[in-house]
Amino acid sequence: MQATTLPITLPRWAKPAYYVVVGFLSLVGVVAVLVRLIYGMKVTALTSPIPWGMWVVIYIYFIGLSVGSFLMSTLVYVFGMHRYEKVGRMALLSALFALFGGMLFIWIDLGHPERFWYIFTRWSPTSVLAWECFFYLFYIVAILCKLWFLMRCDLASLAESSEGWRATFYRFVSLGFRCPKTASEWQRCHAQSMRVVRTIGIIGIPIAIAVRGGTGAIFAVVAAKPYWYTALFPIIFLVSALASGAALMAFLYAFFGKRDEDYPEIVKGMANFALLFLTIDMLLMAAEFLVGFYGRIPEHLEVYRQILFGPFPYTFWLGQLFFGTILPVTLISWKRTRQSVFWLGVAGLSAVVGIVAVWLNLVIPALVVPVLKGLDKAFFQPRWSFYYFPSFWEWASTVGLIALIVLGFSIAYELLPVFGIVEEKFSGGER
Amino acid sequence: MVKEKGESVEQQVGRRDILAKIASAVFASLVAPAVLSETAQAATEQQPTQQTPKLPELPPPKPDEDPLIRMMRDLQRALKKPLEKRRWVMVIDLRKCVGCKACTVACIVENKLPPSVVYRPVLEEEIGKYPRVTLRFLPRPCLQCDNPPCTPVCPVKATWKRPDGIVVIDYEACIGCRYCITACPYGARSFDFGDYYTEGTPEIAPVEKAPSFEYHRTWERKGNESPIGNARKCHFCLHLIERGLLPQCVTTCIGRATYFGDANDPESLVSELINKPNAFRLKEDLGTEPKVYYLI
Repeated sequence: MQATTLPITLPRWAKPAYYVVVGFLSLVGVVAVLVRLIYGMKVTALTSPIPWGMWVVIYIYFIGLSVGSFLMSTLVYVFGMHRYEKVGRMALLSALFALFGGMLFIWIDLGHPERFWYIFTRWSPTSVLAWECFFYLFYIVAILCKLWFLMRCDLASLAESSEGWRATFYRFVSLGFRCPKTASEWQRCHAQSMRVVRTIGIIGIPIAIAVRGGTGAIFAVVAAKPYWYTALFPIIFLVSALASGAALMAFLYAFFGKRDEDYPEIVKGMANFALLFLTIDMLLMAAEFLVGFYGRIPEHLEVYRQILFGPFPYTFWLGQLFFGTILPVTLISWKRTRQSVFWLGVAGLSAVVGIVAVWLNLVIPALVVPVLKGLDKAFFQPRWSFYYFPSFWEWASTVGLIALIVLGFSIAYELLPVFGIVEEKFSGGER
Repeated sequence: MVKEKGESVEQQVGRRDILAKIASAVFASLVAPAVLSETAQAATEQQPTQQTPKLPELPPPKPDEDPLIRMMRDLQRALKKPLEKRRWVMVIDLRKCVGCKACTVACIVENKLPPSVVYRPVLEEEIGKYPRVTLRFLPRPCLQCDNPPCTPVCPVKATWKRPDGIVVIDYEACIGCRYCITACPYGARSFDFGDYYTEGTPEIAPVEKAPSFEYHRTWERKGNESPIGNARKCHFCLHLIERGLLPQCVTTCIGRATYFGDANDPESLVSELINKPNAFRLKEDLGTEPKVYYLI
């Protein structure tokens, strides 16, 4: 039953080295974004037939991580699984930063990023994408409210106990909330916070599902692409998001969680959720593939051919199948590895990385297949090509912006009270 | 009396004169866009009215006249009707298309299209096996669907179907998300990435920087300004047809394989052509109701 806690102790230089590397990559990302904003979309390798590429893939990946993390946090705050309490804030924080990541990627993907606000002023009720952006507003408010109510006592106490810029920072983020002084005061305050958090959590569930289902529906409503045009798509999006969220939590908690008596159980729990959702995901994918194969619609079959044996077969075989499914499922279920927090963390990381391949395969192959026979040979220009491999600047901005989001998350993780402080002080004895 | 006089005058002029007259009218229709485009800038400053400022003068009707003249006459008749009473359709006779792609090129020149954008590619299909082999050419403009899948997906209402059936894009409103491009079942929308054909040479050819007059306006290509960064599509040369000129692909077609006109007018040439059993449309099963008909 007990998982062996591997002493994951890092050398002293690891942290500064980590910040140097991530900081440098973030800088690369910022430069790449500037290049993209100055020179326009011509810095991408996108073409007219394949107008969505790497950035859109990473956008839906981040939204998936965000919704997955958010829904994992509801396990604690709505469904009362209090043994996972310590994951709650971390999950919400990663939901917030992943959402920022998603926004950032879809923003740089716009042909006219300076017009992004048109989506609210010229909002169109017939567009799934417009609804999607509408849901983001509610979603971000839900995450921020939930985080603030969870952390307000700790933030206020930190504002009192710390000095210098930290004190200013905590005062700012606590929005002037006063720290309860006595245990009974704290009890009342805590109970009120939890009520609010639970309510927001309940409202947040349909919002998060709408956000994620909506992302899937962006593709699912496109009748022009048989591969996308399936009601399973939003469901696959949701389940994959849950899998990636649970896997992210398993990874984060295994390597950066709080080392106490609950630690191995929390990692195991998160890994088991990842296993559950990965399995359902596999089932849905199998259903989708089998029905598609049996249907034998030429454009549909061609998409599968592209995925399995196209120019980038390793995306499927190595990324989606091995790192995204087989490796994590094996590590989480195999007797020898499932007892080790380290391997469960690795399983989480493997799934988090491998799921990028899932999104790549859900978006790009559908665009590679010409909608009309002969369209690919009708106009010979590099920008009318049915082949896509991201350009240097797309890679640079993708890696760089992911680093920027990771950097932001790391800083927030260090500064914010991700694990309760005041709670320990007042209720430490009881537990 | 007047009519009689007219007829007698026509009888007097010889066959050669009439031919010359038709030839000059055809020529006029070819050069008119260039001549008009100079004045187009001035015209955009005034409000773009639905009435045509000055319609080209046409020779009197004649039984076996060039279809271009007939279609221009149809066009002028349609322009007299209010916008919502017109129903622009295009008819492409695949038996006549030789695959010269003059329409593709004429369209690129007319609308100053960059390398990533093509409004009217010509698809080729090889039928049979050597030595009994033949090619079928299928020019594909925007089909201006009556039930367009590309317009509802736009998150900012930047693209819509006009009352006369033409699907247009407001370049100033388009945020460049490219959702519409993925939604079109015919691949009829392209994205303007801001490239130039002569990029990488000492100088970008001035013709590529020349403004286009789409949607009755002047669009200069500079920086990242619209139409760069926008979705773009064929609009049946709206800026030409509302001035009484045929779309550039129709005028330029060497085999007169492309027809254009108002399907609401039973007298028009296109109405005659589309109401025949050899007319078909692409992917009709999707319910998009395209307004481009192919004849086989």
